[in-house]
Amino acid sequence: MLENIRYFIRRALRNMRQWPVLCSAAILTMAVALATMATFFLVVINIQGLANSWSEEVQVVAYFQSSPPRNQLSPLIRQVEALPDVQQAIFVSKTEALKRFKTRLGEDAGFLDGVSRDLLPASLEITLKAGSHTQEGVGRVVAELKKDSRFDDLRFGQEWLERFENFVDLLKFIGLVLGSFFLFAALFIVSNTIKLTLYTRRDELEIMALVGATKRFIQIPFLLEGALQGFAGGLLSLGFLIVSFKLLLQKGLQTFWLTPVGFNPVFLDGNQQLTLVLCGILLGTLGSLVSLRKFVRL
Amino acid sequence: MIQLFNVTKSYGKESVALREMTVHIEKGEFTYVTGPSGAGKTTFLSMLYGASKPTRGQILINGINITRMASRQIPYLRRKIGVVFQDFKLLNSRTVYENVAFALEAQGKKRYEVSKKVYKALKEVGLEHRLQRRPIELSGGEQQRIAIARALVVEPLILLADEPSGNLDQEVTLEIMELFKRANARGTTVLLATHDHSLYKRFPKRVLGLEDGRLIMDHQP
Repeated sequence: MLENIRYFIRRALRNMRQWPVLCSAAILTMAVALATMATFFLVVINIQGLANSWSEEVQVVAYFQSSPPRNQLSPLIRQVEALPDVQQAIFVSKTEALKRFKTRLGEDAGFLDGVSRDLLPASLEITLKAGSHTQEGVGRVVAELKKDSRFDDLRFGQEWLERFENFVDLLKFIGLVLGSFFLFAALFIVSNTIKLTLYTRRDELEIMALVGATKRFIQIPFLLEGALQGFAGGLLSLGFLIVSFKLLLQKGLQTFWLTPVGFNPVFLDGNQQLTLVLCGILLGTLGSLVSLRKFVRL
Repeated sequence: MIQLFNVTKSYGKESVALREMTVHIEKGEFTYVTGPSGAGKTTFLSMLYGASKPTRGQILINGINITRMASRQIPYLRRKIGVVFQDFKLLNSRTVYENVAFALEAQGKKRYEVSKKVYKALKEVGLEHRLQRRPIELSGGEQQRIAIARALVVEPLILLADEPSGNLDQEVTLEIMELFKRANARGTTVLLATHDHSLYKRFPKRVLGLEDGRLIMDHQP
């Protein structure tokens, strides 16, 4: 058994040495296929991250019918903050609202001279917890606030949220379609490259079968070779991805016109990097297996 | 050792390679299979090592019906049979040693056993000094001797040779015939397909004559 394993490894390595061009072609094809998929994945997770950072801006503003007395304010804020979806509630007084409005008008603030300080209503600005920036989350908070007659009007960007969620759904759909397309293209190219390398070595397969090698004995070194090439392809694609992320992607995403200030593009985490290399091994092994079934006939 | 009962092999309705062939070959016999091109010699030999199955009829080798053999059993049948071809079927990317060792490695033999047997087989064919050369660097005759060493290294019960001297000159052919005769003398049953009349006139043995897929002659000297 041990002798056999050693023999298989020796033969897989010797085959790779004996066919350096074929071996490099297989490794490079897998590296390019994996890097394409991984780049695409990276762009998708970053755009999703970007979309999530936009949605963090979503908040509910509840306008008071009349400013509540100071002693009722703290219990009310505590009551609102106790809602499961709410992160924080901040009171904005009539004076504060007018001040903000003036700041926003800038040079035209003069229009407001002489206007009553009661012009704008007082309000509660309610920010939501992570994961509650959805139509449902906002809906639950609004339903609770509507029960309270002290609030006159509620603003929560319903239409914007609907459009935003449709956009994210579209993004996911495009990601799925393009991702599957890339996956099939990668599988097709890799299996064809391996088929080509096996076609070049069909004499070897024929002679092995002729001298009484079992199917398993013929296939194992080739599968091992595929796995090793896939491993090398996976590492190569990871290297390529790190370089392209540092040089291109990171900058590109940071200067994207809709990127909020301070958004930091993320790279694949440890598990995802490991998955990429494992995908390489799987791609190499499966690619070899599929092609071998065509060539090894006893 | 080899028994064929009414064996027919056809490829579609029009093309029949072998028709109703019945023949018995004893253990240790040396038999020529002759006939013009397309007579069915190669089909006959290929069925004996399980490369193709008869359309009708039964083939028994060493008492085992190989027509009913599962495909996973075929490798074990082939380990008892050495095959030599006109085009040698050697791997030019491997050394002479590796080419011969291949047959033993495929059977899962231990490394030390492999090297001992390979050296002995190459010495038998007179090529022990060419171990590390590649087949492509050697002459046609030497390449065929490597192929014979690869067939004989496993000490087969049966040696099948399909036009082994087809690409070789007279002198080399005689050398190769000598190797077959020596294997036969050690007890290996030899079947040699050839259309070279001079060969069986010079080394008279049993001759099976095929024509158009039919056995038309079975001649004992």
